[in-house]
Amino acid sequence: MKRGDRLQGSLDLLVLKTLQKGANHGFGITVHVQEVSGGLLRVEEGSLYPALHRMEREKLIAGAWRTTENGRRARFYKLTAAGGRRLAEEEANWASVALGVERMLRPA
Amino acid sequence: MKRMWEWVKRRLSRDEEWREEIESHLAMREEWHLGRGSTEEEARAAARKQFGSPLAAAEQVRAVHIRPWVESAMQDAAYALRGFRRAPGFTLVACLTIAVGIGASTAVYSVIDPLLFRRLPYPRDNQLVSLGYFGPVDSNEFNVVASYLEWKKQQTAFQAMTSMRPGEHCDLLEGTAPVRLDCYRVEANFLKTFGAAPARGRDFTADDDRPGAPEVALISWGLWRSAFGGSEAVIGKTVTVDDQPVRVVGVLGRDFEMPQRGEVEIMMPERLDTRQGRARNASSFLRTFARLREGVSMEEARARMEPLFEATARVDVPAELRSEVRLVVRGLRDRQIHEVKLASWMLLGAVMGLLVAACANVANLLVARAAARRRELALRAAIGASRARLVRQTLTESLMLGLAGCVAGCGIGWALLRILVSLAPEGLLRLREARMDARVLAFALAASAASALLFGMAPALERPRVEAMTAWSAAGPARTLFRRVLVAAQVAISLVLLTGASLLVRSLWKLESEPLGFDGEHVVAASLAPRTRHYPTAAARTAFFNELERRLGRIPGAGSFALTDSLPPAGGEMGRPYSNIRIEGHPPVAQNGGMVLFRWVTPGYFETMGIPIVAGRGFREEERGAGEPPLILSAGLARRLFGREDPIGKHIDLEASGHWCTVVGVAGDVKNSGLREAPDPEYYRLRMKTEAPGGLDVAAVYRTPLDRATLGRWIRREVRELDPALPVTIASMDERVGRLRQQPRFVASLVTVFAGLGLTLAAVGLYGVLSFVVAQRTREIGVRMAMGARPGKIALEVEKYAGTWTGIGVAAGAAGSVALGRAMRGLLFGVSPYDAGSLIVAAGVLAAAAALAALVPAWRAARVDPAVALRHE
Repeated sequence: MKRGDRLQGSLDLLVLKTLQKGANHGFGITVHVQEVSGGLLRVEEGSLYPALHRMEREKLIAGAWRTTENGRRARFYKLTAAGGRRLAEEEANWASVALGVERMLRPA
Repeated sequence: MKRMWEWVKRRLSRDEEWREEIESHLAMREEWHLGRGSTEEEARAAARKQFGSPLAAAEQVRAVHIRPWVESAMQDAAYALRGFRRAPGFTLVACLTIAVGIGASTAVYSVIDPLLFRRLPYPRDNQLVSLGYFGPVDSNEFNVVASYLEWKKQQTAFQAMTSMRPGEHCDLLEGTAPVRLDCYRVEANFLKTFGAAPARGRDFTADDDRPGAPEVALISWGLWRSAFGGSEAVIGKTVTVDDQPVRVVGVLGRDFEMPQRGEVEIMMPERLDTRQGRARNASSFLRTFARLREGVSMEEARARMEPLFEATARVDVPAELRSEVRLVVRGLRDRQIHEVKLASWMLLGAVMGLLVAACANVANLLVARAAARRRELALRAAIGASRARLVRQTLTESLMLGLAGCVAGCGIGWALLRILVSLAPEGLLRLREARMDARVLAFALAASAASALLFGMAPALERPRVEAMTAWSAAGPARTLFRRVLVAAQVAISLVLLTGASLLVRSLWKLESEPLGFDGEHVVAASLAPRTRHYPTAAARTAFFNELERRLGRIPGAGSFALTDSLPPAGGEMGRPYSNIRIEGHPPVAQNGGMVLFRWVTPGYFETMGIPIVAGRGFREEERGAGEPPLILSAGLARRLFGREDPIGKHIDLEASGHWCTVVGVAGDVKNSGLREAPDPEYYRLRMKTEAPGGLDVAAVYRTPLDRATLGRWIRREVRELDPALPVTIASMDERVGRLRQQPRFVASLVTVFAGLGLTLAAVGLYGVLSFVVAQRTREIGVRMAMGARPGKIALEVEKYAGTWTGIGVAAGAAGSVALGRAMRGLLFGVSPYDAGSLIVAAGVLAAAAALAALVPAWRAARVDPAVALRHE
């Protein structure tokens, strides 16, 4: 729980970024994050769903039940217009935070 | 509606959905592991491990959805509470209004429901009827054995017909002291006809019901518990009832009640004797009941019984009465409630009126408050509160108000019910059965909650407009019109209630001040009902009455004293047909004269009762030795028989029996058939020393300086020495009369209370509207004052405004009152149902209340300071 909280900001960013590539379900999101980050990042699965539902309530993403390629029912989330705007904000935000941290660690 | 249901269903299935989503994730992860060569078990374990607790996750998902909702609900509640604290007057009045409406309607309905609407405690109760002859001798239908036996043999309308003797007292000797109990003699098929069965032991059989069969009895559940400790050993036990051995064969069910609502403790077979002569059986009284055949309606049964009735009436009903007797077939419930029906409907109507007035008041208050808050709502909408949120918030407020009112209403209802039960006269209500009725409570709650919700939410539902933020257009014209109509409606309802109350109170006054024809003050009566068995012969009866008179007459300092067989003013005494009377030398009297009452009295009766002798003389002690007993007529009877002729000294045969007696005097008329009815004609005969009258019932009356208790002790001692098994009932005459006034007093005081509450509600409503109007127009008033309008004129304007709407309400209420008056004619006494005085009084009270309610707002309007008002908002 605690860790989830600390990571919340980045978790939202990872989810939104993943969904920018197309609608996906929760499991798909974890796999995507792990693969793209080359195994460096791992979404904590227990915290993923509360976060998804919270973002859905905030209308950043929209969920709907669909069938996967393997014929399994799963809830697919897709990015909304508001979610797209939020992603842009978060990316910019993250970039500046990352830059700041970078400078702190390697002072010029 | 359908969409709402879908919405509810979706809400309910959401938990399911969340769980499914997590399951689906776990399954996909398992598949993923399997794809990498794990065994199924390893895959499952790994998936679990990676995910953590699915339950905890589902819980967190739920929290995501629910927490904001709970938080905002709490916020709404806190906000509402803050609002209430800011407007304590509004809150208190609204709560009280709801509480009074709910409390009063629930309590009164709870009392009335068992009377008017409840099912009778018999299976298929709507098949049960009471039937018989109906005539001037009794207030209910009756039958005679001879006719009943023929009806029963020949009828085709009923599955079963049964009969019982009128109830009487009997003495059970169990242990040492005799106990007086309520006893009924019934036919063997009595319980079966009503679909009842004994709780213990057996029912009567046809064998028990033969004349001369050994006596058996069923005892009531209550008697079984109290006198026999609920022991099974009572079945088959022989007890002594009226000095006769009687075997107990069974115990009546706990909930059994007699069809005419009498108390029963011992039930024995009536054993009708078919072998007795027709004439004898034709003067032997019964009550008859029956159960309709399937598919036969009440009307059809009546039609089928009509020829039988015609046939038997020709034989069994005395010729003089025949034209006055008709057949009655009516539902059992009708028979049970006919005396109290009108009073009950009246109370129910009054309390429903009150509930409507309360709802109107709540609506009015909420609309006023809402109008005052439109600015606030508009402001909150402007700074981003969603419409749903505003609706929910007003809803919360209304609900909280309703809830508080409901809680208080339940309390009031409960207390009121206690009070009603303790005040209600015997016979008006089935007291045992009165308990808070859940259905009515629910109804009253729903009604007031609905009005609170509906009117509380109205402002939030309409789109908040920017203009509402300016003080000028705080409320549209439609809204204020609606509120004025509400006030007018409340005024109308209050007027109807007030007129009703005023009519009832005035008839009560009339009833209390109605001359009774006798003077009951300081008069104490002791009633005795000796057993026939103890005094079987005329000689034994005569000896008993003479001894009783000697003993009761010797009580020292008791005052004047007399014996009589019955006492006014209660009705229900048996009389004789007027048409039986013959006057020597006169043509026969008119037919269809109804009944004439009679009493056998000792000479002291008129003095003791304070009944004036208006012509001739009273009875004399020395006349009691021998000869035909002399006769005193009531003034009414004398007038009818003789007109202007002097009746003194005339000879009359009272029963077409060849016994001619002499009229020695005329006594003043006395109320003798209840307080409401005009006195029936009546005559008095002297109790002779040599021969007692036929009946055994006797009452001793004293005009005494002693108090009732002291005299009562003396009387009891004398009676005990004469006949230890003879119970005595002692009551002052005032008490006996007061008992008859109990019901009108009860109804009048209740309706008055309701009228008072209705009036208060109307005044509160009017006050609310006016305060609001004044507040709304503060600025306008300020401008006018600044331009020189006088404060008095402004105040007068407010009062005039109040007057207009009160006037409209009064006009509507007056129409309602006339309709009400007609409906409640039967409850009135000596007051016309269209009594203008009552209406004027009611309208006056209402106008005064309205003026008073308008006073504060008017005063406030007159004191508006132009400088402040113009700066205001």
